[in-house]
Amino acid sequence: MPEIVLKINGMEYELKASVKATLADVLREELGLTGTKIMCNEGECGACTVLINGKPMLSCMMLAIDAQNKDILTIEGLADPVTGNLHPLQEAFVELSGMQCGVCTPGMILTAKALLDSNPDPTEDDVRNGLSGNLCRCGNYRRITECVLEASEKIRVGKKYGQ
Amino acid sequence: MANEFSVLGKSLVRKDAIEKAKGEAKYIADIQLPRMLHAKFLRSPHAHAEIISIDASKAEALSGVKCILTYQNIPRVHPLRKFEYLLDETVHFPGEEVAAVAALTSEIAEEALKLIEVKYQVLPAVFNPDEAMKPDAALVHQEYGTNIYHGTELVQIPRLDKDHWLRLEVGSIDKGFAEADHVLEATFDWTPIQYNCSPKSRTVICEWTGEKLTCLADTQLPLFLWQDLSNCLGIPQSNIRVIANYAVGGYGGKMPEKTAILVAIMAKRTGRPVKAALSRAEDFISTHHRISYKTSHKIGVKKEGTLIAGYHKIIAHWGGDTSVPYICQATGLLGCTMLYEWQNSKAETCGVMTNMVGYGPMNGFGDPEVIYSLERMIDMVAEKMNMDPVTFRLKNCMKYGGRAMEYEQVLYGPIQWGILGSDLNSFPELIAKCAEKAQWKGKWKGWRTPVASYKYKKRGIGIALGMHHTSFWPSSAIVKMNQDGTANVLSMAVEMGQGYATAISQVVAETLGIRYEDVNPILADTAATPTSRGNVASSGTSSPINSAKLAAEHVKQRLFELAAPRLNSTVDALQAREGYICVKGTDHKISIANICLAHWQLTGYANNPPVESIRDEKTGQVIHAYAAAVTIAEIEVDTETGMVNLVKLTSGHDCGRAINPVVIENQIDLGVIMANGWVRTEKFVIDEKTGIVLNPNLLDYKLITFLDMPKSEDFQRFFVERPCAWGPFGAKGMSETAMTAVAPAIANAIYNAIGIRIYDGFLSPDNILKAIEKAAQG
Repeated sequence: MPEIVLKINGMEYELKASVKATLADVLREELGLTGTKIMCNEGECGACTVLINGKPMLSCMMLAIDAQNKDILTIEGLADPVTGNLHPLQEAFVELSGMQCGVCTPGMILTAKALLDSNPDPTEDDVRNGLSGNLCRCGNYRRITECVLEASEKIRVGKKYGQ
Repeated sequence: MANEFSVLGKSLVRKDAIEKAKGEAKYIADIQLPRMLHAKFLRSPHAHAEIISIDASKAEALSGVKCILTYQNIPRVHPLRKFEYLLDETVHFPGEEVAAVAALTSEIAEEALKLIEVKYQVLPAVFNPDEAMKPDAALVHQEYGTNIYHGTELVQIPRLDKDHWLRLEVGSIDKGFAEADHVLEATFDWTPIQYNCSPKSRTVICEWTGEKLTCLADTQLPLFLWQDLSNCLGIPQSNIRVIANYAVGGYGGKMPEKTAILVAIMAKRTGRPVKAALSRAEDFISTHHRISYKTSHKIGVKKEGTLIAGYHKIIAHWGGDTSVPYICQATGLLGCTMLYEWQNSKAETCGVMTNMVGYGPMNGFGDPEVIYSLERMIDMVAEKMNMDPVTFRLKNCMKYGGRAMEYEQVLYGPIQWGILGSDLNSFPELIAKCAEKAQWKGKWKGWRTPVASYKYKKRGIGIALGMHHTSFWPSSAIVKMNQDGTANVLSMAVEMGQGYATAISQVVAETLGIRYEDVNPILADTAATPTSRGNVASSGTSSPINSAKLAAEHVKQRLFELAAPRLNSTVDALQAREGYICVKGTDHKISIANICLAHWQLTGYANNPPVESIRDEKTGQVIHAYAAAVTIAEIEVDTETGMVNLVKLTSGHDCGRAINPVVIENQIDLGVIMANGWVRTEKFVIDEKTGIVLNPNLLDYKLITFLDMPKSEDFQRFFVERPCAWGPFGAKGMSETAMTAVAPAIANAIYNAIGIRIYDGFLSPDNILKAIEKAAQG
């Protein structure tokens, strides 16, 4: 098995991985980063979404060896690493109950982060379109939309006052 | 109303919210144990076959394989209410387990499956439930003699008639039809099969320490799995610990699976922990799906529009699943007979087996499947009477004092009508409010008249009622006070996303007068938590949370007894709030923490009272738990493509009291997408010649997405709070009720738009186009 180096949440991990191993498998089984969830394991549901160089990618459809030399952000790396403070998206999901069973939640939050990074002031339609590749079997779509809009507001207000 | 409480009725942060938002919630799938083996299952390619020979020697020789199970080397036992043995020499549907392998990695286990050589003698199979009922049909279980289920030696259903049908009649149906001015009847074709599609396919880990088994299970029924493991393994329940922490949305599907038992056997034989995690495709082809009904209704109505007689027939297709015999349909019979005030009513049902994967309980448990047709039928009657469907329902819906049946009586007891107490008394208010919020009056233009038309697009509006029993069952709970005045509540029920951990904590905090943050729910551990049935039939609030409230009251009484002398007061004069016990109307108080520190762990314990003891205050009659719902849907049909756009949805609910409104709204949303998927997008495709599922993946099996739902301003949910005479603070639960009214409301709206009824129930674009073309041809 080749040795690979993955840069995840700002940390470098050196490990041996099968050439067939997906990024999702390596994250979950080799590194214990089980916040990345697997629902379909076939690239159809968005649950395993991580950000690669800021772009949402399906970690079940990506080989771990292809994720080298890239910045990988998983749900474990989203809260402030120093203070432990939740990201505004996480705060909104917590305060407004943007989850039920919670399996789609990490992928939903990371996809939403990429959306807000590129579109800080989205409309409801922007959010619905931007997240439409992520499935929530518990049907929390309306609530999740509210969470993302709430978080975008918080981030904009925060930026305005220099936080 | 809400002001009388400090914790209840508030949308507090879910107990599991932070873990889930940070990705820290550990589901069974996320757990790895040292030396753990991975299990895979060999599955039958045939719908019905006898295994002539099975040779696992090559697989056993593969490096890394630690254990192989076939029917030849395991106990011949039946899992819970199943016909077949744990592993059987006969297979009854494509996907049934033939062998199990545990190996060092899942890849090795999968490799080993390919090396197991099985020779099958293929037997005649039957897939179509209509065919399966014919006398000359191929038999699913040959020794049983019929495909119509009527119990076994182990499963007795005393209420079944000799011809294996379950019947009930109230009043006289013949008299009712004789008195009717109009009689309408219709048959509705098989309701769609729906895959429950839990976000996490079935996963289990078993580990033994000596003779003691620990089973980490993703189940909504730890109690039943505990019993099933005990029966099949032949060991006492005291040696088995089932833990179902962070279960993942079962939606009725996460019943005991035989995989857990096979995994337990392999863990015992290898002396190592064993994990089985089904792939998405395996989950599709081997776990049970939504039950399918073919229903007929015959309805008699007086000329002024009063329903006088209702006859309802349900034929239920179970496929290969017999784990909940007749219980779904008994629920369905109630759905038929309790939405309206029939003077004379008859309902009958039977259950048919075929060589398909199982069809059984799923979100709604037998109610949505019949309410779907009944509510379309009610519209047909209203149209015949040329009455507005809202007016017709207001006139005929179940009201206070209406007659209702007890659930247990349908299956087991003599049939008698109880008088409904404070339960299903909210329909008139729900209907009126729902109509107002959905602006029904401005939109309803009359029968076969769309709300609006624009070229080939037609907009329609439809209403439906729904209900579901939120069963009141035996249940028990413990509330332990900690030394700092915080509390742990112990309950065997499961948090699987529905908000149980949050709701039980709110109820206990409110009862004890302590902060919500200071209640820690300890759930779903059969070795530690007091018994309850688990989370099925939307009973979480009505049953285990009710016993938790009683346990909290029990310990509060002890706290008061200890506080009274220290406050120079009497127990009656005390109240608990904000962490203190106070003398009512004075400043005298003592902190609960102070009392707890002085007295070693104070513990409250309670069982729910017997069901028979719960009586309506006014009528004195035994009452039961039913939650009610009304949905109005507005849709737009593109008559050129058959596409339906859900424009607007209004959903109203009576759940007694809303413990946490946001959590309940989320459950309403769940019901709405479940119903939409069921009748609009989630086409479960089975090959008619082989019984094989052809689309076992989420690309070809379409779940509802963000874009299929109306936008926020067009999606309204509301509650009518009618606290019931029992249940914690008058709450009676709701979850599954949410789904029951949605599908028929959409179907009725489509009829309003295009003036064509679609009897086969799947409202896909192709079916709608076909119906439009057929109607155009006359």
